[in-house]
Amino acid sequence: MMTRREALCRGANGFGGLALATLLAEKSNAAVRAPHHPAKAKSVIFLFMDGGPSQIDTFDPKPRLIQDNGKPIPLKTPTTVFNISDKMLGSPFQFKQHGQSGAWVSELFPHVATCVDDMAIVRSMVADHSEHTAANYFMHSGSGFQGRPSMGGWVNYGLGSECDNLPGFIILESGLVPPGGLDLFGSGFLPASYQGTLFRKGAHPVADLEPRESSVALQQSKLGLLKKLNQGVLERFAGVSEVEATISNYELAFRMQTEVPRLLDWSGESEATKKMYGIDEPDTDEFGRECLIARRLVERGVRFIELLTPARKGFDRWDQHGNLEDGHRTNSKAVDQPIAALLKDLKGRGLLDQTLVLWGGEFGRTPCAQIPDGGYTKAVGRDHNPFGFTMWMAGGGVKGGIVHGATDEFGYYAVEDKVHVHDLHATILHLLGLDHKRLTYRFSGRDMRLTDVAGELVPKLMA
Amino acid sequence: MWLGRWILALLAASIGFAQPTPEQVEFFEKKIRPVLAEKCYGCHNAKLKTPMGGLRLDSRDALLKGGDSGPAIIAGDPAHSRLISALSYKEDLKMPPTGKLSDEQRADFSAWVEMGAPDPRLGSMAVAEKKPYDFSAGRKFWAFQPLARVAGNGIDQFIVEKLAAQGLRPAPPADRRVLLRRVTYDLTGLPPTPEEIAGFLSDKSPHAYAKVVDRLLASPHYGERWGRHWLDLVRYAETNGHEYDDDKLDAWRYRDYIIRAFNQDVPYDQLIREHIAGDLLTNKRLSADGSALESPLGTSFYWFGEVLNSATDSVKSRADEVDNQIDIVGKTFQGLTVACARCHDHKFDPIPTAGYYALAGVMHSTEVRESVIDSPARANEIEALRQQIAPVSAAAVSPSQFADWRVSGAAFHNAPQRGIANSSESGSDRFVGTLTSQKFRMPTLWVHVRVGGTKSDAKLKENGPLRFTLVADGYKAMHLTSDGDDTPHWKSMRMTLAINRMCYFEIVDRSPDGHIIVDKIVFSESKEPPAEEAPPVVLPPQVDAKIPPSAFAMLASDWESHNVRIHIRGNHKNLGEEVPRRFLQIVGGENQQPITSGSGRIEVANAIANADNPLTARVMVNRIWQHHFGYGIVRSVDNFGKMGERPTHPELLDFLAAEFIKSGWSIKAMHRMMLLSETYQMSSKTDATAVKVDPENKLLHHMPVRRLEAEAVRDSILAISGRLDPTLYGPSIPPFISSYQDGRGKPVSGPLDGAGRRSIYIQVRRNFLTPMFLAFDYPLPISTIGARGTSTVPSQALIMMNNEFVTNQAGKWAERNGGLTRMYEQAFSRPPDAREQKEIAEFLKDHTWADLAHVLLNSPEFLYLQ
Repeated sequence: MMTRREALCRGANGFGGLALATLLAEKSNAAVRAPHHPAKAKSVIFLFMDGGPSQIDTFDPKPRLIQDNGKPIPLKTPTTVFNISDKMLGSPFQFKQHGQSGAWVSELFPHVATCVDDMAIVRSMVADHSEHTAANYFMHSGSGFQGRPSMGGWVNYGLGSECDNLPGFIILESGLVPPGGLDLFGSGFLPASYQGTLFRKGAHPVADLEPRESSVALQQSKLGLLKKLNQGVLERFAGVSEVEATISNYELAFRMQTEVPRLLDWSGESEATKKMYGIDEPDTDEFGRECLIARRLVERGVRFIELLTPARKGFDRWDQHGNLEDGHRTNSKAVDQPIAALLKDLKGRGLLDQTLVLWGGEFGRTPCAQIPDGGYTKAVGRDHNPFGFTMWMAGGGVKGGIVHGATDEFGYYAVEDKVHVHDLHATILHLLGLDHKRLTYRFSGRDMRLTDVAGELVPKLMA
Repeated sequence: MWLGRWILALLAASIGFAQPTPEQVEFFEKKIRPVLAEKCYGCHNAKLKTPMGGLRLDSRDALLKGGDSGPAIIAGDPAHSRLISALSYKEDLKMPPTGKLSDEQRADFSAWVEMGAPDPRLGSMAVAEKKPYDFSAGRKFWAFQPLARVAGNGIDQFIVEKLAAQGLRPAPPADRRVLLRRVTYDLTGLPPTPEEIAGFLSDKSPHAYAKVVDRLLASPHYGERWGRHWLDLVRYAETNGHEYDDDKLDAWRYRDYIIRAFNQDVPYDQLIREHIAGDLLTNKRLSADGSALESPLGTSFYWFGEVLNSATDSVKSRADEVDNQIDIVGKTFQGLTVACARCHDHKFDPIPTAGYYALAGVMHSTEVRESVIDSPARANEIEALRQQIAPVSAAAVSPSQFADWRVSGAAFHNAPQRGIANSSESGSDRFVGTLTSQKFRMPTLWVHVRVGGTKSDAKLKENGPLRFTLVADGYKAMHLTSDGDDTPHWKSMRMTLAINRMCYFEIVDRSPDGHIIVDKIVFSESKEPPAEEAPPVVLPPQVDAKIPPSAFAMLASDWESHNVRIHIRGNHKNLGEEVPRRFLQIVGGENQQPITSGSGRIEVANAIANADNPLTARVMVNRIWQHHFGYGIVRSVDNFGKMGERPTHPELLDFLAAEFIKSGWSIKAMHRMMLLSETYQMSSKTDATAVKVDPENKLLHHMPVRRLEAEAVRDSILAISGRLDPTLYGPSIPPFISSYQDGRGKPVSGPLDGAGRRSIYIQVRRNFLTPMFLAFDYPLPISTIGARGTSTVPSQALIMMNNEFVTNQAGKWAERNGGLTRMYEQAFSRPPDAREQKEIAEFLKDHTWADLAHVLLNSPEFLYLQ
């Protein structure tokens, strides 16, 4: 008997039939591979908060900054990108404790706050780069340089795909690609099959997916001729597996053509579900759709799904060098309700246990103020801070209801139980059943890893 | 408090005694050992094969001896003990990494060091003294052995002998159509035309095939094909990548240089010298018309790496840039992964870290700057005209703020003496040139510059023809232009991002009918420019001079030659001993004279472009072999080291390398030798026995089937549709950008069909690489990629089925209306067989020729070469 996941995956029959589908699975890079050890999570949803949300204004309250607002910070501070002031800036947002665990969450995330008992909030993240692009590459690929394989590519390389009709690494976009561009989702030196596929918002998400023929029947009949002619090609190229794979590849392409519209046809979703995700509400519609599609992709067995934040005029991304208050309010409003809906929906369907949800940006922000020329006003913001920031995880083998690590009393440096990005990557791979030291690919005479030559598991984060 | 000090003084009295007192032992056991055990041993103990930083903290001797950075403590001197500094969390090195110790714990450690670090731990270890690096073992590896003198009368003998040893024979000769298709793609990246096929089939001369090889080698499309192979090695790109993906101005000049070099069969040793040190050669090659320098264009390759737009650490950015250059030089020319030795001695190959930093010193002494590439004759001609126009030199001004700036071209030739940069001073706007400053660390938050001259649009950024540019860490970060008044006016730049970073200024005039004037640069903490306005500038009357044009390119030159110190563990903040500049000792010799004047690039060039270098010729003939036979004799073409593969035919490799050198490093002669071999002319039909004995075809019992590269797929579509514009050279065509490609620095889209130009002329924008290329394994411009992947992904099928470019070209092809036989010859180099004719006739009853053309482009036979 087929599982629901298998049914969804196999539902769209191509023009070839099962025999070729089997051939494809054997030949392609997509075939499922055994993990190194039993996995807790099967899929990852990365809620990437492009631009770097401020830890101090979301999940890591710092009363000291409020108390000493405007005073010079008594710390040796690093060079920041904009060489900002040394004046401390207290958070303008109110914090409260939530859930059984009593985790502190600011007023920016009232919906997410209701899920804290499923979340492991890591307040001691450390990254290596102060500048967006390098930091983005680093968060995605474990290297600050351009052109290395993205996490999603590594995961698919390690585990293969459980779904024949869709790519294993999908990025959902609502009009804003982070600095660093599409190389953030590239396959680097891994085979091209591990490239991420960007799904644009709207009815036509993937390039070259829709036939240009005037009718499906016309495309079918052209492919019919191709299939007949390919008989002769197979004879001419007898025994050449690449040619056979190229032929069966058309089958997968054809199935993708039909599967993607099904993915986006959510007429079967209830009104309550759509409402929960905030679909059709102006603030939450874009990210709500991304979250709902993410759930549907998880159901179809897609390994790695990354969600990008929507564009907001004047406050694009979480990168509030100025207008911190308005900007963070606008950005949190866009994602808060949809994220909580996603967590609850996954949980309600029994999928949260096997889905690792990860939230965070490429770095956090400084406790000191970036002051526009002219003075200390409402337009004040914060600069980039990779030395101590917050990310959180939920589901997929993560221990819920905990707060891990700490920054100093100003929220500048992580000081307790530091979790470096390499450690985070190692831990994510571990939950997926992969040993980060064994997941290697030979390039440049070296066995390359997502975690370079570093990375320690963080057992305290695991259930 | 005083009591504590007294006790410490008492304890300290025992410094120098081998045996700690019982009080000291107690202090150590209670206060120090538990912290070491809990926080430090994990990464710093003797059981680890490679303790972090080379430092062990689990014995007294080890602690005193220290790690890569030197002693961890100096007994009795906490202020100068690295351990205490690291624990303080005030310097760059902060330990333990999991979080700062408590104030009390840190005070304990200070006190303990002050009292002489009494330590009862036994197991004093014998840390071996650092011995000189031993190259003798490494030299035994095959790749570092001199070329063997191999007797032989050609490629076939080596192949056949090895096959025979396994009881195998080479495959029979390939069909003539198959052979023509194969060799035409191999040398030009385009399919043979039906006329070329007919010509070859009807030429009954025994030299028919040799004639084809000569014809193809003489085709200008040969250089495009092999130039593109070369661009894969030097991570060729025309933008900086990262956040804004700004243009790398004039990158295409290098692309054209490399196409010309292949077409002219420039000897490979010369090509190497031009890459490493083309600017320093005494006999430089010139362009065909003699007006421009050719050799120095090779040096542009240093600068194709990615560039950060807002680096926060100049020293690290520069170190990363140099690392990328070393990586490219090592792999491209030597097949060595030299960059592996950045943090530690190479783990597999005989390249010590000191060898890496010896080469790094050469790179650090080299700068790539926007320059005029006039030949000496052209420069003299322009100078003569300039003197005619303005025979009297204007008076020198002392001191001149431009005294140590570097002049390129004629426009600013007076600036260093005159203290004013005025590109129209000689009486004509037609003079062009650049004026660039030394590098300096940006001292202030504001820079005010008085700029005048012809109005220019600042929005053009680095593409602006008249500009004052701030280059910060290699990034052309800010630009000032004139509003149109010749009298300079203050313009201000805020150094928000650039302060404290390594910068230089460049003043650029690339305009044949405009000028720029800069007369003052002021560094200031104030937002307000100085009050002092420039005296009115009155230009000399314009003379209608016929100044011949000049071209610009990014060229290397020597700046501030210096050695660098070893970066311990690759950390630029942790410096070890200084290493003299020189080339890798394992190939350049252990007794090389350290380089003391100039960057050392000439010496490096000569060490690589050297018949005695065991790697240079082997690596290059292996690359050529790979592109003709599918795989290299050494399959890991960019890695001849221990982690690479061993040659399948070592004697053949040495034979070819020796022949290559003997021919005067002629690449075309090497092609001829390979292509005229019977081995190359074999069929790709497999024999069951041979496949069983040698499934990977390492012995070459048949020609492997190969898939076309991304560019060959696109170029072939254009060729058969009739849209191909065979124009050679010139500025790049902007890539087509679909609505699915998004991100910062998104450029204005170029035409869907790339104006019909070959793919090598499509601009390589790092952040906007063409999706069709990426689907067919186009290499990312990150490192040397001598062997591309050939993956099979659904996006390939989706592109061929649904992409507008493909369907449009299919339509154009159908419009040419050549009939079925011609279409088959164009696409597959053969006529259709009876079965195909029947199927297609049936299909055409209710489909168009465009439908058919589209189906044929989707045939695997279009993508694969037999």
